[in-house]
Amino acid sequence: MSIIELKNVTYQYPLDSEAIIKEIDLSIENGKVYGLIGNNQAGKTTLCNIMRGFIPEMFLGELTGTVMYKEKAIQQYNIGALAAEIGYSSQNPFTQISGVKDTVEEEIAYGMENIGISPEIMEQKVQELIELFKLEELKEKNPFELSGGQKQRVALASIVALDPEVVILDEPTSQLDPQSTEEIFEIIAMLKKQGKTIIVVEHKVDLLAEYCDEIVLLEDGRIVKNGSAHQVLSDPDILEHGGALPQVSLFYLKHLKQNTSVPITMAEAIRKLMGGVSQ
Amino acid sequence: MANPIDKWYPSTKLMIVLTVIIVSMFSTIPLVQYVLFGFAILLSLCSGKIGRFLNTFFKSIFVIVLFIFLVQVFIVKNDDSQPIWWFIGYSQIGLDTSIGLASRIVAISSIIIWFFQVTSVKDIVAALEKARIPKKVTFVISATIQLVPQMTKLSQTITDAQRARGIETEGSVLVRMKAFIPMMGPLVLTSIQQTDERVLTLEARGFSAPIRKTAYYSMKKTALDYMIVIACLLGLIAYFVGGPL
Repeated sequence: MSIIELKNVTYQYPLDSEAIIKEIDLSIENGKVYGLIGNNQAGKTTLCNIMRGFIPEMFLGELTGTVMYKEKAIQQYNIGALAAEIGYSSQNPFTQISGVKDTVEEEIAYGMENIGISPEIMEQKVQELIELFKLEELKEKNPFELSGGQKQRVALASIVALDPEVVILDEPTSQLDPQSTEEIFEIIAMLKKQGKTIIVVEHKVDLLAEYCDEIVLLEDGRIVKNGSAHQVLSDPDILEHGGALPQVSLFYLKHLKQNTSVPITMAEAIRKLMGGVSQ
Repeated sequence: MANPIDKWYPSTKLMIVLTVIIVSMFSTIPLVQYVLFGFAILLSLCSGKIGRFLNTFFKSIFVIVLFIFLVQVFIVKNDDSQPIWWFIGYSQIGLDTSIGLASRIVAISSIIIWFFQVTSVKDIVAALEKARIPKKVTFVISATIQLVPQMTKLSQTITDAQRARGIETEGSVLVRMKAFIPMMGPLVLTSIQQTDERVLTLEARGFSAPIRKTAYYSMKKTALDYMIVIACLLGLIAYFVGGPL
């Protein structure tokens, strides 16, 4: 069942001469993990802002087509109250901090305060998230004193605290080291298990191959590929549209010259190779 | 461990400040002002903030008081001014005026210094939220306090980047002023851009949700708070009934 539905959506920023998003039709299904890929300026962040309801309300500009959330036009929702439905984390960790809280604990609780969660539940949830996001050593620190990666983890914890049905993450690992990146994707997998719908903008396609159900490739404001992760990330055509293939797929295509049933994850590749050996 | 005075409710501490200010405003005797100053010192001592109090006092208020004293006694012309040299003279009236004026400034400013040293912005905001002040107002207070050091840090980053590109940023006042001007453009533009993005962050945390805000950090008034407020009110009544000193 679709939770977010875009029909023929075109959007142009107020001062731009051409649309950044062009005639997009996209259906986001409940409980799936979507990877949004494409070159810089492809329109990924703008598409995220549209799905969150920030566009056009906060950016103005001209939006045509329809954006539905739970079968109701997204503009009909209160933009603040929608935080409890659609979580959103933008790509710049330095502006992901509210700027009004003294400690990491309070920062995580800030969103819950705004949507009226009781202090007892907040307390419990903050402690759970501090443990989940491995923030124990940072919980008393001022969020502004954290590194970019730490801020990203705090921002994500703050979003998860609101328990939204949909989580939109715009490059959530851009400032993280490989280990922290893996941890974020493990949290994404955990959120998926909880039945959340996740849309993640990410350039690390190897991780998308492992964790995403669906991949949407954008180029110049249009969707050029949209399908299952396997279908999109094993297709060498995406290289011509600003997409990237997982390392293991590239290896198969370049060195083993196999164009059919190309694996996209290491586990798949090992299974395939082992199958070949046993034969 | 936090000092017990730190835990007094902000409005309780504010009541003490208001009491001191009212007594100071209605008193005409400099000695009363110095008693109030002594009271502020005593409070700072009990709060364990005497070092910081004196440091702030001497860096700010003492300089102002000294300036008032010098201008009133030696520069302002009064009927009893006796010339010393060129435009400098000595006036007993000026000395009396400066003592009266300075003592009041000392009394009022010292209690305000004490208030801000024992009351965090977090406590003030928590008390305001509890008093149902709109969250946009409390947000502006918190954000302003938090963002000032961030702006300083940002300006330092821009200065470092400019220094790395060969712009002279250290040396005489003129050199520093010259370096300050090119820093303003990126500082203002970056701040505007960050403000736009921070608006999204706030909305992603439900800032404009039409729901009554709750509080993760909250404060409660204790019996001691009520006793202090009552004592202040009784003190003020006694002061006015007895005739202001």
